[in-house]
Amino acid sequence: MTTGALIFAFNNAEINYVSMAAWNAGNIQRHLGIPTSLVTDCIDPSCNDVYDKFDRVIVVEKPRAGTRHFSDIGTTVDWYNTNRMDAYSLTPYDQTLVIDADYVVCSSVLNVALTRDQDFQCFQEAFDITGTNDFNSLNTFGEHSFPMWWATVMIFKKSTAAQYIFDSMQMVRDNWQHYRDLYKIQRPTYRNDFALSIALGIYSGHTLKVDSIQHQLATVLPEHRLQQMSKDDYRIEYSTSTGTLKYITLRGVSFHAMCKRDLGAIVANPL
Amino acid sequence: MPILSERGYLIPALDNESTDYVRCAQQLAHSIRQFEPEAKIAVVTLRRCADSVFDYVIPLPHGDCSTGDNKQCNDWQMFSASPFRQTIKLEADMIIASSIDHWWAMMQHRDVCISTGCRDYYDQPAQSRFYRKLFDTNNLPDVYNAITYWRVSDTAKEFFKLVRAIFENWTEYRKLLKFADEEASTDVVYAMAAKIVGVEQCTMPFASYPQIVHMKKHIINTRTNDWTRELVWETDPLRIQTVAQWGAFHYHIKDWQP
Repeated sequence: MTTGALIFAFNNAEINYVSMAAWNAGNIQRHLGIPTSLVTDCIDPSCNDVYDKFDRVIVVEKPRAGTRHFSDIGTTVDWYNTNRMDAYSLTPYDQTLVIDADYVVCSSVLNVALTRDQDFQCFQEAFDITGTNDFNSLNTFGEHSFPMWWATVMIFKKSTAAQYIFDSMQMVRDNWQHYRDLYKIQRPTYRNDFALSIALGIYSGHTLKVDSIQHQLATVLPEHRLQQMSKDDYRIEYSTSTGTLKYITLRGVSFHAMCKRDLGAIVANPL
Repeated sequence: MPILSERGYLIPALDNESTDYVRCAQQLAHSIRQFEPEAKIAVVTLRRCADSVFDYVIPLPHGDCSTGDNKQCNDWQMFSASPFRQTIKLEADMIIASSIDHWWAMMQHRDVCISTGCRDYYDQPAQSRFYRKLFDTNNLPDVYNAITYWRVSDTAKEFFKLVRAIFENWTEYRKLLKFADEEASTDVVYAMAAKIVGVEQCTMPFASYPQIVHMKKHIINTRTNDWTRELVWETDPLRIQTVAQWGAFHYHIKDWQP
């Protein structure tokens, strides 16, 4: 059985997701020992050294854009994220780790999930790595707090179950207004996390009993400052509720970097 | 009441001016039959009821003890009203959303078992203590009489004797509590009785079932009390906001007819 990672990367005016993906492909190879394929629309011959980081480059049409405000960048940007469910048909692997370009792999912990006999896995709960923010509102969505599963990291095997989940995600995307109304989601922007959560609800026979990755999704928020100290060591500066500036250091902890500006700077100036 | 069956469900349905509890009980009984067609079901009422969904229609053995609209003070009579050796009492304003047959296996080793804690419709333990301040303040067990099991036994007899005593002497018993309400509620009375008899004798707080799904506003974070107008609900099978329900669903909006 072949196993590999798949990263979707569609650049916008502010964020170079392809570079981020290439940088992360190196981390994935080092820690998980698996190749990475890139799904992108962006073929720039001058960037061949970037594409060389990938096992395969899968070129697709740019999906339709949503918009998203990134508070650390201070602007609203186009956000091309509506084709994540195509992972099932695009992947060249039997088992695939679909991973956001901004999920920083610093450890082999995902290998535990990769060796489990499950058709589909993802994170159910995220938490603020600094412990300063309650994530209750981020771990649910809609007016009635439907539980959230995060599409940041998804692991699937080619299987009926996985196909059913991705097909359901597509159904949610294609009928987004209906699902917005049903789950009373205030923001109009489509999100993969919401579609995945709704799809898993359907897949579970509406019981919400879903086998998730067995640890939580560590998250660095946009308001935190992220610095790379050495290859797998990061320093995160944050303010407490009383305004005191503090920091923590992470060594060998994989995390979801929502602070795109700082991550972009790290990727642009690799150690 | 002589014992007529080994085990069965007993539904108190004592109508008052505002609520037709017999109709609620019929709805509940039909929902039980969906999953357990052969179940024995008894209803305790103040009036006649000809619905064949009930195996037994039983009047209050000692008559209506209430002086007003609140009929809860009759609850102690359920022990003598039950025609079963083993009884699961179910509050009328619930429906059963999946088989509850396995409850018997869990509870049959006990003399008395009052359900402890409740869940929201996502099947998560309720976080809000809004309705349970009295219990927390007085260190009472977090019991819900909506599901209560007993078998004919000395413990059950003693328990219901206490329930009767507390209801009948509420003005005295309430002095033992901080911030007690003027009128006795069955949950508080059961909690006090359980504490006297022994919480470990009357509850299984470590068990994840039986528990009700509680649809009160502060448990499920709705804007209004009437969730039936706010949430999307479907029947056959029962789903709330698309989430499949199981076990005992305490809808509490008495005129809801799914």
